Amino acid sequence: MRDVAIIGVGMIPFGRRDQDTLLDMLAYSSMKALDDAGLGDKGVDAVYVGNMGAGILQHQSSVASALVDRLSLLPAAAEAIENGPASGGSAVKNGVLAVASGYYDVVLVAGGEKMREVTGWRATDFVATMTHPEAEYPYGITLPGMAGMFTRLYMQKHGVTPEMLVEVAIKNQEMGALNPYAHVEMMITKEGIFESPHSIVNNPPAADPLRLYDACPVSDGSAALVLCPLDMAAQFTQNVPILVAGFGQATDTHTLAERDDPTDLKAVRLAAQQAFERARLTPEDIHVAELHDAFTILEIAESEHVGFFKKGEGGKAALKGKTRLGGKIPINVSGGLKARGHPVGATGVAQVVDIVWQLRHALPEDRQVKGAQNGLTINFGGFGNNVVCFILKRVEQ
Amino acid sequence: MTELKITAYKCKKCGRVHYPKHERCLSCKHREFEEIKPEGNATLLTFTQIFNLPWGFDERFLIIGVAQFENGVKAMGQIKAEDAADLQVGMTMQASWEPIRYIYGEPVYGLKFAPM
Repeated sequence: MRDVAIIGVGMIPFGRRDQDTLLDMLAYSSMKALDDAGLGDKGVDAVYVGNMGAGILQHQSSVASALVDRLSLLPAAAEAIENGPASGGSAVKNGVLAVASGYYDVVLVAGGEKMREVTGWRATDFVATMTHPEAEYPYGITLPGMAGMFTRLYMQKHGVTPEMLVEVAIKNQEMGALNPYAHVEMMITKEGIFESPHSIVNNPPAADPLRLYDACPVSDGSAALVLCPLDMAAQFTQNVPILVAGFGQATDTHTLAERDDPTDLKAVRLAAQQAFERARLTPEDIHVAELHDAFTILEIAESEHVGFFKKGEGGKAALKGKTRLGGKIPINVSGGLKARGHPVGATGVAQVVDIVWQLRHALPEDRQVKGAQNGLTINFGGFGNNVVCFILKRVEQ
Repeated sequence: MTELKITAYKCKKCGRVHYPKHERCLSCKHREFEEIKPEGNATLLTFTQIFNLPWGFDERFLIIGVAQFENGVKAMGQIKAEDAADLQVGMTMQASWEPIRYIYGEPVYGLKFAPM
């Protein structure tokens, strides 16, 4: 297997992008990544596109074929990868495997989703289609609902409190306010969403015990990256190559009800273990992480399941500022899904792009983890039934 | 008690109860199952009250939970309650088979749980 480097990255601001089609967004982020990689007019061998919902939301299929044509990258191989909210992570993984195997040398990976052209009612239904079609979906369960049921159990078993969830929301929206790519660029206060008598109006129940500000927004957006063998990186660009040091992917039961312990995010735990083993690193070696905080509870639970904190300690660590910039392990410095947004097919790619910027030491001081060498991402599909983890490493030249 | 029209699958080798269907046992990979129905009352394992509903629901909110029947079948269902604050994990629930949603005016049936 060959070492694989990320040599180019690109992203467009997430949010409500009424002016753009899904294809526009994928094309814009891809061109940024191709240019960042220094490819010029050179082609790529293959294109992988992470997308969950074009068939449902845009009544469009074969988005990878459309993208490779739009980018004039013909006759590159092209395919779309649908893996729920982990579509982006899966697309990156398939790109990495293709280069690592020696079959392709230069691969473009793009992830994108356009969710805001349907009503919230329809978008909620679209996301809920990932639940079990017989045992869950017909009842009206939503992903916030799944998270609400999980949160109730996690609070009981591991001592997470509403105040800990609020801290995650405040931290991630503070960081999002500094990120020009973030959907939500608005800071919130503890008084406004938790302490004030008016907080019930500002921050109403969404899926008890979760409230409005515990959830990520519904977003449009796209991100892309270019992969090549590490030993070929210097042929294309002077960018600091970022090594894909390891990845892991694991699955769990489709229904939450069939898990022996529904508070055990087994797929997160196993995906992270695989990635650490492959990278020959431990959680203590990670300097920055992008976790899949579609709901605030998930940032806390994932921080425990990947090994940054013991079970029951993740929420306390958040309260103590250990997950903030400058803390023991800065988490979601981009603002995470909570503030950068969650265009589902784009998220797994965007997480990797944000870690690449961190490891290149390319961000402004108020968002840069000083001297970061290793970073980790968790892209969480379904309600934890398909999870992709990456560990990236800066390669000093 | 109304008939609960879901079928669960009990592994003939290790006894693990599955719902929904799997081709092989999640625990021991055995391929033969006894088809069983949920029996008795159910214990509420977790629940939530959802205020942002998906397309197809006109209600102001839904309360949904997962409960375990006396013979081990675990399943999701809608909960008949006015407020999630009236519920507790561990409560005993009675299950019924009722319309859970309507699609183009036609009822879709499923599990409903009511606190006893």
